[in-house]
Amino acid sequence: MEAVVVDAGSKLLKAGFAVPDHPPSMIIPTQMKCLPADESSTDASLHEIIVDPVVRGFISDWDAMEDLLDHVLYNGLGWEIGNEGQILFADPLSTPKAAREQLVQLMFERFNISGFYASDQAVLSLYAIGRISGCTVDIGHGKMDIATVIEGAVQQISSRRFELGGLDLTNLLAQELGKSYPLVNLSISDVEQIKEQYACCAEDDDAYEKLQLSCPEEQHTLPDGQVIKIGRERYTVGEALFQPSILGLQAHGVVEQLVHCISTVSSENHRQLLENTVLCGGTASMSGFEDRFQKEASLCSSAIRPCVVKPPEYMPENLSKFSAWVGGAIIAKVVFPQNQHVTKADYDETGPSIVHRKCY
Amino acid sequence: MYGGDEVSAVVIDLGSHTCKAGYAGEDAPKAVFPSVVGSIDQMEVDDPDNPDKNPDTKSKGKRKFYVGSQDLGFRRDDMEVLSPIKDGIVVDWDMAESIWDYALRKCLLIDPKEHPMLLAEPCSNTQQQREKAAEIMFEKYQVPALFLAKNAVLTSFASGRATSLVVDSGGGSTTVAPVHDGYVLQKAVATSPIGGEFLTDCLLKSLEHKGISIKPRYAFKRKEIRPGEFQTVDLDFPNTTESYKLYSQRVIVSDIKECVCRAPDTPYDESSYSNIPMTPYELPDGQTIEIGADRFKIPDILFNPPLAQSIPGMESYAETTSYVRGLPQMVIESINKCDVDIRRELYSSILLAGGTGIDATIERTSGERFT
Repeated sequence: MEAVVVDAGSKLLKAGFAVPDHPPSMIIPTQMKCLPADESSTDASLHEIIVDPVVRGFISDWDAMEDLLDHVLYNGLGWEIGNEGQILFADPLSTPKAAREQLVQLMFERFNISGFYASDQAVLSLYAIGRISGCTVDIGHGKMDIATVIEGAVQQISSRRFELGGLDLTNLLAQELGKSYPLVNLSISDVEQIKEQYACCAEDDDAYEKLQLSCPEEQHTLPDGQVIKIGRERYTVGEALFQPSILGLQAHGVVEQLVHCISTVSSENHRQLLENTVLCGGTASMSGFEDRFQKEASLCSSAIRPCVVKPPEYMPENLSKFSAWVGGAIIAKVVFPQNQHVTKADYDETGPSIVHRKCY
Repeated sequence: MYGGDEVSAVVIDLGSHTCKAGYAGEDAPKAVFPSVVGSIDQMEVDDPDNPDKNPDTKSKGKRKFYVGSQDLGFRRDDMEVLSPIKDGIVVDWDMAESIWDYALRKCLLIDPKEHPMLLAEPCSNTQQQREKAAEIMFEKYQVPALFLAKNAVLTSFASGRATSLVVDSGGGSTTVAPVHDGYVLQKAVATSPIGGEFLTDCLLKSLEHKGISIKPRYAFKRKEIRPGEFQTVDLDFPNTTESYKLYSQRVIVSDIKECVCRAPDTPYDESSYSNIPMTPYELPDGQTIEIGADRFKIPDILFNPPLAQSIPGMESYAETTSYVRGLPQMVIESINKCDVDIRRELYSSILLAGGTGIDATIERTSGERFT
């Protein structure tokens, strides 16, 4: 049986058997609804609580995560109790050591798996496009990671994590639409849909200024039938990644942060990192983002100009949405047959801390 | 024991230039960031119930601290850049606390209650400093266990030796400390205020004298007017403090220093180095500068401090550099203060540590020592 690769993001959980060059078989939302245990309550909708097991990239609600994984592994992927296989997890940058240990404990104790491996999402995204060294700019729903990887090892010192992602952009869009249409009642999931459909990036900041003044508008029909027009708000959302002051944050845009991270690495590796820059994550697949990124990058001094790499042709479309998963599938084919993973015997002998020694 | 291997200890080294933090057992720290903080004074709102407040009492404003190269890299109005460390020891504990907070909660993402802590302290640390550090760690962070170790001893252990002479050339100062069987011989420790930051300042003054103005990163913006052609537009921010401007310039100049400077094989001499080829360096605003003799002059200040006086703009340091000893003299002085029996062992195991350690320093030190 193939190993299972799981990439639990703040919004979407990607899971599937490790078949390289294919998209994951299950892409489900991580958000769960919690229904009350007692059946007697007549008004079930009042007691429904929305639970997010993964917040800003890290697993925060372990019980909910357990239920989610239970559903994914047994119902979704068809594992049988008693015959569990091997699993590979993709962790975000700066995952605390205690979190990894807790995860490995959960997998071995509750799910009784036979083998475990965990790897950083940055390294996996680079494997997906066929590189072992480079930079990844992973803009997800809950967080943005800028990681420098050299020969398969993440350089922790020069990598950064930001708590800025699709979630903040959705809130921004909701705010902007709220200003233009104060009477229309928009739910967050509607705004999320609008963002995914319409958000894009202006060509550069001069073009953005012009668009703020006058912009062609598009009509959008909400699920409840109302029609709203979306104009410059769509560009505001994309611009927020390059000018975080729009979101009220005191930070530089994504390209400057990347250049700053690369400058921290010793100069002999700069070439390698700059030439192999990868954009991944759901929010980075916004239309116009890559072009704008490349444009801003060309404004940097020539010694430190990042250059975005295109994924190989044999990879599925929209690779950036699940590149960490695909990288995980590639590495699962190498790690598990060569017994480099944490086995049940290892775990029983040493305990959860074995994960720090075997997986890096 | 705290679960043995299960939850690792955390090691923090708060140096004069950078702070390093990470887990025990790993071979590199997880977080390395500048140990200066940006501080904005926030004046308290005037108390309306107290109209006849004594005009002499200064309203004690709370300061907001910004730690880490990301926050420091962003220009804010009236943000002063201050260092909690002076002469190697901590003087401002509020700032030190904010740096520890940042390291533990933002970089390592841990809860200090669950991790034993190891702090690296300078060799010249006083009793009071140690007590204050322990007080903050136990009272504020509630660590389960704490250990304070001297930098020199840790460096020695890192290279697998219990006895060695540690030459630590860091950002703020250079310290030569002999370590014997894991203990620092306090009487023989020699320090000098010449460190990486001093060298950066020398290079900055030298470049300014040559007419090259280093524009800090926030002071310009590049625009592409035509494909391939760039134009630099100057931006003016009148509320930027001098200390922030200096800090931003220092960041750029220290990068120049790290990329371009090398310790010369022989002591620096104006005439012999006047004809060497210049190395180009591209500044962030697109200007390309050429650096010639300064490449070798600046690192030589470590070995020969009075050389700094010849750099225009550094005359104010003339008196300090005249009695400060160079690196080889400090090594000899330090070893001579030790017991005769261990001198041979110390001579044969000299360790170089610290950010300012440049390649040729090793051969240079061994060459000069016996002349």
